[in-house]
Amino acid sequence: MGPRIAPDPPKDDSIILTARDVTVRFGPVIALNGFTADIPRGVIGLLGPNGAGKSTFIKASLGLIPRDGGAISVGGLDPQTQSLRIRDDIGYMPEHDCLIPTVSAVELVSYLAQISGMGRRDAMQRSHEVLDFVGIGEERYRLVKSYSTGMKQKVKIAQAIVHDPALLFLDEPTSGMDPNGREEMLDLVRRIGATGKTIIVSSHILQEVERVCEHAIIISDGRLVRDGKMGALMAGEEGLFSITVRGDAKDLERFARAFGEACGLVSKTDEGSRQIVLSARGCGDGKRVFALAKEHGVQVRSYIPDKMSLEDVFLQAFQGGGSGGH
Amino acid sequence: MGINPIEYRAWKGVRSAQKSRLYVIANSVFRHKIRSFGVIALLGLGFLLLHAFQIIFSVIAPHESLDAQTMYDYMGSGGTFAIFAILLAAVVTSDLISDDRANSSFVLYFSRAIKVRDYLAGKTSAALLIMSLLCAIPPVMVAIASIATQTGDDYSGSAEILGRTLAAGAVGTVFFVPYGLMMSSFTKRKSYAAIGTFMSFFVMTIVAEIFAGFDPAWRVISPADMISFSFSWIFGVEMPSYVDGWAVACLMTLFVTVPAIVVYVRVKRQVVGG
Repeated sequence: MGPRIAPDPPKDDSIILTARDVTVRFGPVIALNGFTADIPRGVIGLLGPNGAGKSTFIKASLGLIPRDGGAISVGGLDPQTQSLRIRDDIGYMPEHDCLIPTVSAVELVSYLAQISGMGRRDAMQRSHEVLDFVGIGEERYRLVKSYSTGMKQKVKIAQAIVHDPALLFLDEPTSGMDPNGREEMLDLVRRIGATGKTIIVSSHILQEVERVCEHAIIISDGRLVRDGKMGALMAGEEGLFSITVRGDAKDLERFARAFGEACGLVSKTDEGSRQIVLSARGCGDGKRVFALAKEHGVQVRSYIPDKMSLEDVFLQAFQGGGSGGH
Repeated sequence: MGINPIEYRAWKGVRSAQKSRLYVIANSVFRHKIRSFGVIALLGLGFLLLHAFQIIFSVIAPHESLDAQTMYDYMGSGGTFAIFAILLAAVVTSDLISDDRANSSFVLYFSRAIKVRDYLAGKTSAALLIMSLLCAIPPVMVAIASIATQTGDDYSGSAEILGRTLAAGAVGTVFFVPYGLMMSSFTKRKSYAAIGTFMSFFVMTIVAEIFAGFDPAWRVISPADMISFSFSWIFGVEMPSYVDGWAVACLMTLFVTVPAIVVYVRVKRQVVGG
């Protein structure tokens, strides 16, 4: 039995997983190419296009595939040589279909709980608890082969958390789910994350990661492209502000011209319905903006520091806007 | 999720030792198998045809002691014992690995603290336990029934034959399982694995029959004959003059070890790093 990966870490122990120059090859294909990252505790998004190396990194962290170079440390242990010690404290929800179809959900989750080291009665009780938690009701007694994709995803997450791991890998958790199912799954991730567990969510759906994760790691072609806290990643350029104004077309036009002269217009977007969004730098605390608006008879709907979406961050990273961390 | 969603609760229990977890797999496979119609039918039919009459015969026929020739005639000659053992091995082992391949469920096992070795040991133990219900336990019951009703007082001699019966039962139990597992690791369909296991043995028997026309020593490649020859060695009954005991021993060892290694390598390649 290995040491538990502490779910409630001291502040100086905020990194749960480190990867240094990790290389993994599958024949001529290089899946991870010198991947380096420090993954903190919390809910972490592992982002990248299909084939970027996200699943390979997860499997290498579990010790399921050998590395060709570099080092990975999970809670201070090497997954390649100490995989069994690590795995009792890791839960893994694979991307692909992997459930045994000829048993019921409660049998399956209880069986896997026992393989994770729980006693039989304990495993059965815990299985019911986690199936309740993920929202599988009386259907738990039906064979898994009769389940919808959404229910299978829930059983997959149930089997990943049944042994109460400190670190959870979720590989494309919302894959194949309808919008309601996605919402439920993201809510589950959020609720598990709130218990202090570290969750690494691999996904290529940026909006989902943006909503549930505190930290993001962007990976492409087996390399780290960018990483950092969500707030820091999505913060726009310093001093750049976005203002939304509404008014008559003529007033808006005059205001935009005056605003550009006063504040240094960066961009202008006409949103229709007599509304435009202006991006500018150098307007100070905004008093000049409001004075200009009053002068030109337009209404200021919002005046906020410029913020990017994760999609912008992602695109920027792939256009060479970032490398080796934020 | 409802108005009051059920919240996540931490588990406070103590984990079992990692090495003992293969028993979870063995227990699950055994419970699943023992409820399967094919296994129940084969065990029932096999018990009736192979062992039931022998138990009754042992009790009602007057005998001084348990003798080796009687036990060999019952277990080793005729090939019925081997045929049932082959059929049962084919049915029991066919889905043990093929199903996990078909469902891609290896990852569920090996993302947990379990090694390929333990996974295979768990599955194999369950298969061996089922096989022993046909190949080892009934012959031992026959031997015990015979000893209990013997008229003579040579109990030590009878006990020796009981030991030999146990050894023969163990050989019958173990012999076909690794091959069946190997076939199961080759395919994702259990029907292919079952038919493949049975047909392989059948083809080997046919080939042995054909070549035995030129040289009777070729009989050693027939699985049923291999079992029969090994039983004659175990019970100390005279082997046919054309059979080389060492050749049989080598072939049997190969027949068990090579498939076992192949299964290990194939599962390891599926999993990598387990």
